[in-house]
Amino acid sequence: MVGKDCVAIACDLRLGLQALTVSNNFPKIFQYGDVLLGLTGLATDVATVSDLFRYKVNMYRLREERNIAPSTFANLVSSSLYERRFGPYFVSPVVAGLDQKTGKPFICGFDSIGCIDFAKDFIVSGTATEQLFGMCESLWEPDMVRLDLDFRTLFPPGIFFYMMILLKNGQLNHDVECSTIMHIICTSDLNFTNASYQSTFATGFDEFFANNLNLLDDLQCPEDLFETISQALLNAVDRDALSGWGAHVYIIEKDKVTKRLLKGRQD
Amino acid sequence: MSALFSQNPLMNGPNYSFSDTPVSHPNEAHGELREHRFNPYTDNGGSTLAIAGADFAIVAGDTRLTSGYSIHTRYSPKVFKIGGTTADQKDATIVLSVVGFAADGTALRERLDAACKMYRYRHGKPMSVNAAAKRLSTMLYQKRFFPYYVYAILAGLDEEGKGAVYSYDPVGSYEREMCRAGGAAASLIMPFLDNQVNFKNQHIPGSGEGHAIQEREKKPLLREQVEILVKDAFDGAVERHIEVGDGLQMMVITSQGVEEHYLPLKKD
Amino acid sequence: MDHRPQNWGRPRDDIYGGYDVSYMAPNAEPNTHTQSPVVTGTSVVALKYKDGVIMAADNLASYGSLARFPSVQRLMPFADTSVLGFSGDVSDMQYISRHLTSLSIDEAYGVQDPLNAANLHRYLSKLLYSRRSKFDPLWNNILIAGFDSDDKPFLASADLLGTTYSSPSLASGYGSMLAQPIMRKYASTEEDAAKLTKEQAIKIVKECMKVLFYRDARSLDKYSLAVVTRKSGEEGGGGVQITQEKLEGMSWKFADRIKGYGTQTV
Repeated sequence: MVGKDCVAIACDLRLGLQALTVSNNFPKIFQYGDVLLGLTGLATDVATVSDLFRYKVNMYRLREERNIAPSTFANLVSSSLYERRFGPYFVSPVVAGLDQKTGKPFICGFDSIGCIDFAKDFIVSGTATEQLFGMCESLWEPDMVRLDLDFRTLFPPGIFFYMMILLKNGQLNHDVECSTIMHIICTSDLNFTNASYQSTFATGFDEFFANNLNLLDDLQCPEDLFETISQALLNAVDRDALSGWGAHVYIIEKDKVTKRLLKGRQD
Repeated sequence: MSALFSQNPLMNGPNYSFSDTPVSHPNEAHGELREHRFNPYTDNGGSTLAIAGADFAIVAGDTRLTSGYSIHTRYSPKVFKIGGTTADQKDATIVLSVVGFAADGTALRERLDAACKMYRYRHGKPMSVNAAAKRLSTMLYQKRFFPYYVYAILAGLDEEGKGAVYSYDPVGSYEREMCRAGGAAASLIMPFLDNQVNFKNQHIPGSGEGHAIQEREKKPLLREQVEILVKDAFDGAVERHIEVGDGLQMMVITSQGVEEHYLPLKKD
Repeated sequence: MDHRPQNWGRPRDDIYGGYDVSYMAPNAEPNTHTQSPVVTGTSVVALKYKDGVIMAADNLASYGSLARFPSVQRLMPFADTSVLGFSGDVSDMQYISRHLTSLSIDEAYGVQDPLNAANLHRYLSKLLYSRRSKFDPLWNNILIAGFDSDDKPFLASADLLGTTYSSPSLASGYGSMLAQPIMRKYASTEEDAAKLTKEQAIKIVKECMKVLFYRDARSLDKYSLAVVTRKSGEEGGGGVQITQEKLEGMSWKFADRIKGYGTQTV
């Protein structure tokens, strides 16, 4: 999943034999330098393919004396899978990374014979694809920023009132913002029904968005990406009988990769 | 709809995304002989969704009617008012949504509506939503061995005035819930509803470590919030499911009656 | 003593002989229903316009790939208020047609208004659904055109499963793939359809019939075209008019300009 100047990739931990759970600690994400590869499908092929790419990436590094770029790795995955066109590895890989030179997020997915699906937003794979598509399509938005700051300390309360009007008119369509703001409004004890707020703070709202650009730098983009991808994965696997048992989440930023382990439902 | 959880690559060959795209003759695709026999069912696609609030319930459905890759029509409602005194159902208090095989859906809707009208005639009062819910279950089970191929959702206000949503499988097994998605995009919408309506996987930040962490308190959503959720759910489903689109029909049941809204969805 | 309970309370086998199970199956063979269509008609296309509906279907009844009967009209007027267009099995079409003729005669004796297209559509969809529920379907896709109870143009479809739907334009069979996109280009909504004049609508439907004849191998260049308009008081004013049309000036000259598929190398 792509965020603002960052990407994330996550997997569940279940290994199953049809309905029988064999292991509850089977990560499906593999790190090669600053490129990450997710593999779903037949477990033997997951192991084989992950080792194959470890070997290929290491060879690349020895020959080229530099790390492999995500887009280069994607083409390597594609051609390697297509080599087995008529006896494929039963895997559906996902690649995520940041372009080393431009810092631009890169993600893509593949079918089992190497057809690349480049995406600007998110890639899903595995037994819970439908659920993941539903979650990602409704939670994801471009350049996600976290807006869990307490606005009451920053801005006059009428802003929320004004935002609600915009929301009702359909002029504001920012799920995370809206739900956060709605939540604040619903839980606050301030009285927003006073109509005089409306004109007073109409200007305040515009100022807020004018000032928002520099505010964005202070906001936690990777944190919101983490929350979004985690919620998308956890809720999707909870509706799939063949996935679950906790999750691994990797957040890739320009200078660091953060790995988090999520507990999730254990059933 | 036939294979909700058949994304397993071991079960149906290598694949990357949707494995159950429509095929005209499913058996032929696997190289088996096809028995030539009349198939009384078809899947007309589409999706429905219902959410219960504290004093209202919302039922929504898209208006596309498909068969295979063909769009038969862009406006064929699958959410209906049930049990009014007249044909135009303007005093109805119960809403039924049906998705799956459209002809069975129509037949079921007309049967339930007739049952509600008979109840009103015999008892001199409108049918309660929980009575209608039970009746619908019986109707579906009566055809246990030649089922109505529909996923039904029934909604209304219960005797305390609270929003009530009942969901069914094709043979009449039913349950009262806070929310339910049905039909082609059910598997896309349902996890979103778990998360946004029942606050699944949401916790109170800093409320504890490990198992001590507290879940976010569950409380019914406001009507404005629910309407936004319904639109967002369908916008997502339209983007990723070919059988969903064209229009969104939304029925809002309150103590004042049933309001109907129509919004356009993407037509591609 | 026979210790098998299933044999108790029955006439003894050693005196009366064993039970003849063939009595349990009254017919030697199972009932047979229409399991597949035999003589078939291909697409029907129909389009609503400002004050009525246009419908067209060619005059061919095929036997598999054989063009068996080249002058079978597949459009049927009903009570001079509505038109039905049949695709699918022709014998089932003739059965329904006979049935509806007698129905319209019966109705004409009554005091009520004649059945309109909406009534007829409801009636046919119930007939088709009840037959599919008996596993004995009438193998047709029927388009019904006319006017509804509010006297607005009406166009709807009912198929062998009892599925019903209506739209500003409808087409069955290959028409749903080849003709519908053309008609939707001109009338994607009810509002757009309500702006079309009769001449425009006829032109669009004729265009559809041409495309279908070019690309549907089970089609014919002779077709019936029905125009349904509101009945007016005067003689011959409105009602159902069915004319016989023939596609003229067919040319495949455009074919050598189509590139990008097939066996072409340039």
